[in-house]
Amino acid sequence: MRFDIHYRETWLHRINPSLKLIVMTVLFVAVLFIHNPNVLINLTLGFLLLLFVFAGYPLKYVLLFLLPFLFIFVSTAASMILFGNGQTTWFQWGLIHITEESFFRGLHLGFRALIFALLGLLFSLTTRPVYLFYSLMQQLKLKPKYAYSFLAGIRLIPIMLEEFQTVQNALKVRGAAENSNVFHKIKRYAIPLLSQSIRRAQRIAIAMEAKRFSKAEGRTFYYELGFSKYDILFASYVVVISLLAYYVSTVYSYIPIADVR
Amino acid sequence: MPNNKGLKLADVLTTVVISIVFGIVYKLWGPFYYFVKPFGLHMDQLIYGMWFIAATVAYLIIRKPGVALLAETAAASGEFIMGSEWGLEVLIYGFVQGLFAELVFAAFRYKRFDVFVVSLAAAASTIGSLIMDFYKGYIEELAVWNLTLFIGARFIGAIVIAGIFAHSLVKALEATGVTQMVRPASKEDYDALDR
Repeated sequence: MRFDIHYRETWLHRINPSLKLIVMTVLFVAVLFIHNPNVLINLTLGFLLLLFVFAGYPLKYVLLFLLPFLFIFVSTAASMILFGNGQTTWFQWGLIHITEESFFRGLHLGFRALIFALLGLLFSLTTRPVYLFYSLMQQLKLKPKYAYSFLAGIRLIPIMLEEFQTVQNALKVRGAAENSNVFHKIKRYAIPLLSQSIRRAQRIAIAMEAKRFSKAEGRTFYYELGFSKYDILFASYVVVISLLAYYVSTVYSYIPIADVR
Repeated sequence: MPNNKGLKLADVLTTVVISIVFGIVYKLWGPFYYFVKPFGLHMDQLIYGMWFIAATVAYLIIRKPGVALLAETAAASGEFIMGSEWGLEVLIYGFVQGLFAELVFAAFRYKRFDVFVVSLAAAASTIGSLIMDFYKGYIEELAVWNLTLFIGARFIGAIVIAGIFAHSLVKALEATGVTQMVRPASKEDYDALDR
């Protein structure tokens, strides 16, 4: 996402976007198979370091971005802590049953959600969508019709938000009742927004097809993206942090549990 | 035309644009979801189905193979690019949910567009999301009554929102005439020419 915030361009911004996406997807899947909360805590620290030191954003903004993640942490952890299975009961009141096992499992889930959120934030703060789609076309051979459609679609977001405001104002002017149910309300907004968007998409598509944006063979690109030393740096950072996270967890553990299942 | 098979740029762009509308909805749905969450007892799962709606709506509008998967992935990307609280997770969930919906439409050979098939696709997306939750959230470790409530609420919500509501939404959209622009010509259209 393009924030109107001044940021420093760091080496994280210069990584090949396709590589960044692949590494992060691999990390995502790998994290699903980690059942030791200590490893997850170490990994979280490793990515927090990346975010605070190398993302190139002022500290106060990074803290602001992290705020909703705290909420995710708590809400993800809460239902497992309160309603999870376990043997060692700590607290029981009506349906709520907190056990040692469910408590640590809940924390583990919280950290897991935090890592996913951190990875996503790191990616969107340091990747320009234009470069991402150009790189997907060049490195991963994504068909141009998909890449350019996404790029055109992203450019339409501000227009859609403006249109949303227009519909909102129009409804207000006409005194549309606010007490209707939520489905009715969604429809009121969705029908004009969708129909206008479809019409606009058709017009743009005709123009784009006429200009051969859908042509796949022999295409040249305005932005040529390749690999650099920063890619090696990033890949090594991830490998080192992962190994370190495992190693540290065997030497020192914050939580006396090695598998939360 | 050599490019008659598969999706054309116009189809892809229309799907992506529809999906971005839903991407915005998905993004706004996040805060609503945690607003409902503290009520407890998995009330939040009843509204989870909104995150499956792009696949079914886009399929009903464009009626071509591949649209459901593309739409759900694109909506998730839109949500991701706008800075989702769940980060990378939404992309993978979106892909899996879209894939499961697509499989249902493929099973009916992309020939049926009624409430039943759409509801079935919504239920399939639910299964997709539950598989992801199984790996990510250890949901099987919840107490049995709690897990049943969780799964039940999500299925009901999905069918109501991404099934029945999506169908009625597209019915309303058909009245505006825009769907005529994007759908492939049907047999009835050719018959109309012969009359």
